[in-house]
Amino acid sequence: MNDMIFTAIVIAVKILVVLAVTLGLGAYLTWYERKFAGHLQARRGPTVVGPFGLLQPLADGLKLMTKAPILPKGIDTKLYYMAIMMALVPAIMLFAVVPFGPSFKIMGHEVKPIVANLNIAILYVFAMGSMAAYGTLFAGWASNSKYAFIGSLRKAALIVSYEVVLGFAALSVILLAGSMNVFDIVDSQIKSGIWYIVYQPISFVLFLFCLLAESGRVPFDIQEAEAELVTGYNVEYGGMKFGIFPLAEWYLNVLALCAIATVLYFGGWSGPHIFGPFSGFIWFLVKTFGLLFFVLWVHWTLPRYQAKDVVEFAWKYLLPISIVNLVATAFFVYFKG
Amino acid sequence: MPWASKDTLERIKHSFRQINIDIQPHFVCINVEDTKDITNILKHLKDVEDFRYFIDFHVIDFPKEKDRFLGQYILVNPYTFERLAVKVWFKNNKLPTAKEIFAGAKWAEREAYDMFGVEFEGHEDVKRMFMWEDYKYFPLRKDFPLGGIPEQKLPSLTEVLEGNTMPPSHDYDIMHTYVPTIKEIEKTEKSRITKRGQLVLNWGPLHPGTHGTMWFLFDLEGEHIIQTDVILGQLHRGMEKIAENIHYFQFLPYTDRMDYLSAVCNELSYVQAVEKLANIEVPLKARYIRTMFAELQRINSHLLWLGTGALDLGALTVFLYAFREREKIMDIIEGNAGFRLTSAFLRIGGVHYDLAKGTLEVAKYFVKDFYSKLKEYHGLLTRNRIWLKRTKDVGVITQEDVYQYGLTGPVARGSGVAYDMRKIDPYAAYDLVDFDIPVGDIGDVYDRYLVRMEEMYQSARIVEQCIEALEKMPENEPYVNKKHPAVIPPKEDVFNDLEDMVKSFRIVVHGENMPKGEVYSSGENPRGELGFYIYSIGKSSPYRLRIRSCSFYNLSVFPKVIEKHTISDAVALLGSIDPVVGETDR
Repeated sequence: MNDMIFTAIVIAVKILVVLAVTLGLGAYLTWYERKFAGHLQARRGPTVVGPFGLLQPLADGLKLMTKAPILPKGIDTKLYYMAIMMALVPAIMLFAVVPFGPSFKIMGHEVKPIVANLNIAILYVFAMGSMAAYGTLFAGWASNSKYAFIGSLRKAALIVSYEVVLGFAALSVILLAGSMNVFDIVDSQIKSGIWYIVYQPISFVLFLFCLLAESGRVPFDIQEAEAELVTGYNVEYGGMKFGIFPLAEWYLNVLALCAIATVLYFGGWSGPHIFGPFSGFIWFLVKTFGLLFFVLWVHWTLPRYQAKDVVEFAWKYLLPISIVNLVATAFFVYFKG
Repeated sequence: MPWASKDTLERIKHSFRQINIDIQPHFVCINVEDTKDITNILKHLKDVEDFRYFIDFHVIDFPKEKDRFLGQYILVNPYTFERLAVKVWFKNNKLPTAKEIFAGAKWAEREAYDMFGVEFEGHEDVKRMFMWEDYKYFPLRKDFPLGGIPEQKLPSLTEVLEGNTMPPSHDYDIMHTYVPTIKEIEKTEKSRITKRGQLVLNWGPLHPGTHGTMWFLFDLEGEHIIQTDVILGQLHRGMEKIAENIHYFQFLPYTDRMDYLSAVCNELSYVQAVEKLANIEVPLKARYIRTMFAELQRINSHLLWLGTGALDLGALTVFLYAFREREKIMDIIEGNAGFRLTSAFLRIGGVHYDLAKGTLEVAKYFVKDFYSKLKEYHGLLTRNRIWLKRTKDVGVITQEDVYQYGLTGPVARGSGVAYDMRKIDPYAAYDLVDFDIPVGDIGDVYDRYLVRMEEMYQSARIVEQCIEALEKMPENEPYVNKKHPAVIPPKEDVFNDLEDMVKSFRIVVHGENMPKGEVYSSGENPRGELGFYIYSIGKSSPYRLRIRSCSFYNLSVFPKVIEKHTISDAVALLGSIDPVVGETDR
């Protein structure tokens, strides 16, 4: 009985912590990105609101929330609102299978810093990643706007092609680890002492491409290409209704996928114990943010592809490469392991 | 000398008896007597005499003459760079169309119809170019008043509440010129395109990709565009009409507002046309200053193109890098002219102010720094694979297109046509400086990108040479030729010298009558050949001033090239054509 209450409390706390951290981080990532972009572009980024502009996300949020709600004519109201939820929920749900650090003990109980320690965690990531596409699709369809419609169609084409590549890329890591559980994957990397990026550099690059594509970052941000489609699928949304979309897609999605990539290729929380008891957590965050840094860097430097090129790229180049990589890994595992 | 030589004219005269040749100092034209011959003559000029480069077509209105409207073609031989004007009278308001011979004439004829109500045989369903369908008037006709015809009541609140008061409660009239209704705008939209594909996408008039109030209609089949039309005129201000009603010197600030990204270049084109008409010598110092500022303006304009062009293709950072340098040029221009954008820096006969103290030093530092900045831009884009994928073999404009549509500037040079007014007909101090003209090969977006990048480099070179020359000049060298009767003396003289004050007063109030005659003169703008045709009848304002807009003709090729391409290509192509709406619409 005691055990059950303890477990329930732990899970509730975990959910609260993850929700608070991810949503807070999501908001502060906007500050991070703006600051980063500013310095990249010989500007200074936000400086006015608070020290170093640190209160800027709050000001942005306040502004978005106090905007007059405007509903365009001829929309499908139910879908219109559902799209917002469909975009936000899967993005947050992704964090359910992110292990933030090694397991530790509280009052004799072992606690794993993960909301749901699933044995099919990676499969779950794919599922949620695909679910996120519905948000875009619904938004595009419900808005009754041609720009939004074209944007959402592009996103659909993109998700369909990159999900496949993502699957094959991650599958080779799963083959090496022999498990879909994130803890097992990290443990096997720690045990062998070699991160999987050493064995699977190709698969990592493919994963990175998919990460950029799924989260709508440059060079694959075809669904919201400003110069072509104004902002694409979310053009008819205003106020916080609009704010949710970039938050979910550009920040939460990217952050979650970066965390997953850290688990798959960079040994999760493994690293030298130089930060005391929180060493594992800090290493995990450092690696995740390192990847995020790379994503932002790419976003603010490169031009974007055309819609047809993006899809062509996935089917013609990435998919065959990923399959070859998978087969090679399979042989490797069969004969060596 | 860019006008047709005696030999050429002799040959043409030999082939066609029914023409008169009219040679003026800055204008050479053949008058075609019989309207029926015009098609044959144009064909002959194009095929036999190689005048295949279509530059302009415009109309002049003579209400008192028997045939009223005079049409005029301006053609160029792209091999010898001879220029020739062909004049022909409309018969019963009609002229055979030239759109089969020169594709660029299609838009020019639409404009002529829009502004003069003239018709073209063989171009039957001619559409309005700038005004909306169902608009009743033809604004450039001489009998159309400058202020328009007031016919619509737009009363103020006071008038609604209290009736007409005397004196009026405000200083505008109750009656206004006609304003199009939504219905008429919709009709205009419908008349342009008949839907064949899956959906018609309205791209503009307010859209981040069009860089202005251009209105594209894309008929889409999936992502592919199967037909396009452009609705222009949202920024139409009737520049040509305005010019006919004000003094020559008064029109100068209006030119700033055409291609607002290259104000000094516009001014230079206009000012030299007037100078040619009035035969004004310009002091050497003014010529160097003009060249220097025109080239700075060119860099400025190209930087904006680079920034926005890259932004369109998703490269967000290049935009701010380009604007960083642009700000420095703006600073130099502002310090000298007093304005950043619409500078109004040049004057007929010279420049408005002497160089501000320290300008040369600042410009020197800027140019020195600019070479390394150019390398930075190249590093960001030139060999970037995504950039190559987006620009290579996209929007290919052939040489034939260039001649047919009258494309000029980097668009023409990107396709391998080395047509640059700075070399062909050097004006200002371009004959005294050393520079090269880059030309492209295939004529795709990438070639135009490279041409413009190289042009920036060459402009920086020119600026360097101008600085060198200006540094050697003594400080009190004149910068305005104030001895000429048509030139307003510089302000500092006006305040200190009675004679100059009287002269300034006389010109400003009454204007100075210019000699009779015609002039077509053009300058190389960042976007192409900006030409001014002036028909003077000896008054202080032109009888007809035609602005040969480079953006307008450059844009006219867009619907043809974009067919069967995607929307993403449309963005890339439009960015590389780089039209400015202030100039397409005038």
